[in-house]
Amino acid sequence: MITFDNVTKVYQKDWVALQDISFFIDKGEFVFVNGTTGAGKSTLLKLIYKDEEPTKGTIKVLDQNLRLLKKKNLPKLRRKIGVIFQDFKLLQDRTLEENIAFALDVTDTPARDMRKQMLEILTYLRLSHKKFSFPYQLSGGEQQKVAIARALVRDPYILLADEPTGNLDEKSSQEIIDVLLDINYKGTTVLMATHNLKLIKKVKKRMLRIEDGKLAADQ
Amino acid sequence: MSLRIGIREGFRTITRNASLFLLSLLVTSIALFLLSLFAFVTVNLYHFLNILDEKIEIIAFLEENADYEALTSNILKINGVRDVIYVSSEQALKDLQAELQETEEVLSVFESNPLPASLRIKLLAKSRNARGLEEISGKVMLLRGIRETIYGGELVDQLKKITSVITSFDIGLLLIIIFSVIFVIFQTIKLTIFARATEIDIMKLVGASNSFIALPFTFEGIVQGILGGFIAFILTVVTQRVAVSFLSNIYFPQGYFFVGSLLCGIIFGIIGSSLALRKFLK
Repeated sequence: MITFDNVTKVYQKDWVALQDISFFIDKGEFVFVNGTTGAGKSTLLKLIYKDEEPTKGTIKVLDQNLRLLKKKNLPKLRRKIGVIFQDFKLLQDRTLEENIAFALDVTDTPARDMRKQMLEILTYLRLSHKKFSFPYQLSGGEQQKVAIARALVRDPYILLADEPTGNLDEKSSQEIIDVLLDINYKGTTVLMATHNLKLIKKVKKRMLRIEDGKLAADQ
Repeated sequence: MSLRIGIREGFRTITRNASLFLLSLLVTSIALFLLSLFAFVTVNLYHFLNILDEKIEIIAFLEENADYEALTSNILKINGVRDVIYVSSEQALKDLQAELQETEEVLSVFESNPLPASLRIKLLAKSRNARGLEEISGKVMLLRGIRETIYGGELVDQLKKITSVITSFDIGLLLIIIFSVIFVIFQTIKLTIFARATEIDIMKLVGASNSFIALPFTFEGIVQGILGGFIAFILTVVTQRVAVSFLSNIYFPQGYFFVGSLLCGIIFGIIGSSLALRKFLK
């Protein structure tokens, strides 16, 4: 599902973010990407949804070599990948429902399918009663759930989570992890970047450890 | 890509960022007004030069008892002549009297009408220059019954030179103004796009195509252009009304200015927004 083959990413002024990274992630896996702040976790995720280009090496996502992917086909790939962030990236001037609908709107989903998908995702994440609330009226955990709902509403094959619990208390973090595990259980491949080793030990899933841009462990 | 959603998003961004939109509209209106004002001055300058150009003619004075009808038809055959008007000596006197209302006594010293009959020879545009005037005048002089011809040869060439200098200057100025207007509109649209960088990021993230992302901003650029063009037109009309109270003979083709202002607004709005978006859609 995701293959990295000797991938190196160098930013301007010879700053090496990732160096010779190789791994393979199979369909339906749950994988943690661990490392300290600035180790290169976010860069690794960005390379998967082609927000960044590798300096060297080959990346294959959903059987597509990203280097050969034409620019016009990038939106199609991104519709198959859901992404969530530590800072949620919600539109503050839109309600919860509008935030989720936005993802369907901009990908031209027919109105009938849209209603059905919205209803399903809101029920699944137990957000129905808050659908008219604005992000600032929600707790951090709820906001992250909205971000997950937005990422999931298009039924992606892969879900990338960049420090999704970084801004949350322990209880909310656990809730989000439970949601991610459940999503993975239903068949979506989940890749979660986190610096929280305690959390990784608790969940017991595969972990890629990045240190100074290098893959230090795959266990 | 749905046009409906693009327009809806465009309207949403306008209403939810109203102050930024109004600021941007103000700048666009002023920029388009400057362009419109330039067009207004240019149009009037050329209108004036055109009137002067139209007045270029040859006057051929006739000998007494000359057959003006035969002369008229012969002159009309000369290449470059558009029209020939006969002015009898009586008509010439009347015209002079009308011109010299207060100095009528000057004419009273003459016992009889001293003015000869004449033919006013109007020329085609291609012959309204010193060479054309000279050539046609020479041919007219060869005809029997013509006493003398007069025309402002050098003056005409001077007028042509001034027109060509003004034209080059005008085109240069026009280019500078157009670039400035596009630059100003581009910068203000860029401001509104920066204010919505998160929205663009999310759109890209969830797989919206570039054309879809561009649609609301292009729509906003068009709305801004139409409103800005309309405001610029109203300001030009006000300017024209003020100018009329100072100067007579102001030329203002209102319909052309209305359509021109809106069209320029739309075109510059589209160019401005696509330039501003280019960086975000790489």
